[in-house]
Amino acid sequence: MSDYLLLMVSAILINNILLAKFLGNCPFLGTSKRMDTAMGMAMAVVFVLTLSGVITWLVQYYVLIPLNIEYLQTIFFILVIAFLVQFVEIVLQKTAPALFRALGIYLPLITTNCAVLGVAIININEEFGFFKTMFYSFSSAVGFGLALVLFAGIRERFALVRIPKPLDGTAIGLITAGLMALAFSGFAGLV
Amino acid sequence: MREILRLVVVLSIICAVAGFSLALVHKVTKAQIDYQQVKFVKEPAVKRVLTGYDNDPIKDRKELEIGKDKYGRPQFLLVFPAKKEGKTFALAMETYGKGYHGDEGVMVGIDVESGKLTGIGITSHSETPGIGAKAVEPSFTDQFKDIAIQEDVKKKSDGGKIEALSGATLTTNGVLSAVNSALKYYKELKDKLIS
Amino acid sequence: MAFGKEFTKGFWDLLPPFRLVLGLCPTLAVTTSAENGLGMGLAVTFVLVCANCIISLIRKVIPSKVRVAAFIVIAASFVVITELVMKAYFYSLSTLLGIFIPLIVVNCIILGRAEAFASKRGVIDSFADGLGIGLGFTISLTVLGCIREVLGYGAIFGHNIMWESFRPFSFMVKPPGAFVCLGLLLALINFISMRQKAR
Repeated sequence: MSDYLLLMVSAILINNILLAKFLGNCPFLGTSKRMDTAMGMAMAVVFVLTLSGVITWLVQYYVLIPLNIEYLQTIFFILVIAFLVQFVEIVLQKTAPALFRALGIYLPLITTNCAVLGVAIININEEFGFFKTMFYSFSSAVGFGLALVLFAGIRERFALVRIPKPLDGTAIGLITAGLMALAFSGFAGLV
Repeated sequence: MREILRLVVVLSIICAVAGFSLALVHKVTKAQIDYQQVKFVKEPAVKRVLTGYDNDPIKDRKELEIGKDKYGRPQFLLVFPAKKEGKTFALAMETYGKGYHGDEGVMVGIDVESGKLTGIGITSHSETPGIGAKAVEPSFTDQFKDIAIQEDVKKKSDGGKIEALSGATLTTNGVLSAVNSALKYYKELKDKLIS
Repeated sequence: MAFGKEFTKGFWDLLPPFRLVLGLCPTLAVTTSAENGLGMGLAVTFVLVCANCIISLIRKVIPSKVRVAAFIVIAASFVVITELVMKAYFYSLSTLLGIFIPLIVVNCIILGRAEAFASKRGVIDSFADGLGIGLGFTISLTVLGCIREVLGYGAIFGHNIMWESFRPFSFMVKPPGAFVCLGLLLALINFISMRQKAR
């Protein structure tokens, strides 16, 4: 059990997927200008990432390895993720319209969120078992959500202050993210 | 209906062409990738246990199937021959033994002519730092040099020559069992390996 | 002169990842040294040029409903080719870039150019566009890699260039340094282009 706890703390705080592993930075900067979009994106990522982590794991061990075509991993995984996102979109639309309205517009963006494909590949590279994969995918996604929401909280305040013109927009966002990464690197002493 | 048919046909053609060309590239690069991977991971250990060869042991390696892993993939024993003027005079092979924390990989060098070990190198382990992890240090691995291979290699407490690592009996046992399984393979497959 | 124009816009007007804020993940992650930046940039350029050409060639056959799926398959195929070739001939570089090679497939630059350019224009223009944007990306990554390597290790392409008493500023090669460095560089580029406009 402590194994799992350690994995979770490490995935959320220490090796945060956004701030230490640099996965998923495009949506991080793109959807963090307002708190509600950040929340929506965070929820959508937690949902899809956990699901896709598990499914790509199954694809790897029950399709690619038995057929001896591991070299096609990249192409299979990205197709699985793309189809999964489409599928989730349709299912949500039919069964949970309220949830769909909240997450809908973020779902198509997730296909090209490299955190999703990245975590799927990390699961395989680290040779995680099925439950560890599930756990790690979920924790990473929570780490992504946490960083995104915190970052959006900071970014909302930029509207209230005067920022030098050349720094306005993405530039100040990147520097802020750097300071956040610095703060998160303080968690390294936890484990 | 025709529209959907068109979608399916176009996508299938794209996928088929992609799949075919990837299979082709895979076939062309496979030998080179295997070579690079083995060279990158194993060459330092091979160099530690073998000296005085004029061939490329990585290129001349032999892979012998020794079983399957839990996914049904074949597992191979990697054997690296050291040759001089085309004649194999020593071998290195990588075997595994169970340590305190999971498997330990050991590169075992065997001198074919004198029937002695040329040395061992630990290639992978996850033992406790400061205790079991001392297995990688020369003070431990050097003990295996020039030990005759007629019998199994043993610890001093079992009447052999190897001084166990203090506080790390399981680690020592793991290394010994890896070495002994290498000796077993060597004795069984000697003719196949040297030719 | 369309070819020249499409080619050169990648070096300033659409210089990724500064003007075209796409493909940030590899930019931040692999630029700990100039060599890694250059390697990553060239890998992306290769995939971008090939994908652009193929997509432009078959743009009239691809039904628009499934175009994104088709783009992904085409891009992913070239990524796998890059992956295999790198493993075979540049093994140590491929272990350094690691997971970011397969991730080229979700690099928004590839799909972005496919959607915005290659699916609408001819092969020659698409080739020029891919090459220009790809090389612009390579230059950005290499420059960023140089800055971080010089400040973080006191070296450039692995050669020491700083004076003896120089104390490496290891913050630069750690994750926070990546964000701050890229942010400042982006601000600098914004500043230059604002001055140009004001004139």
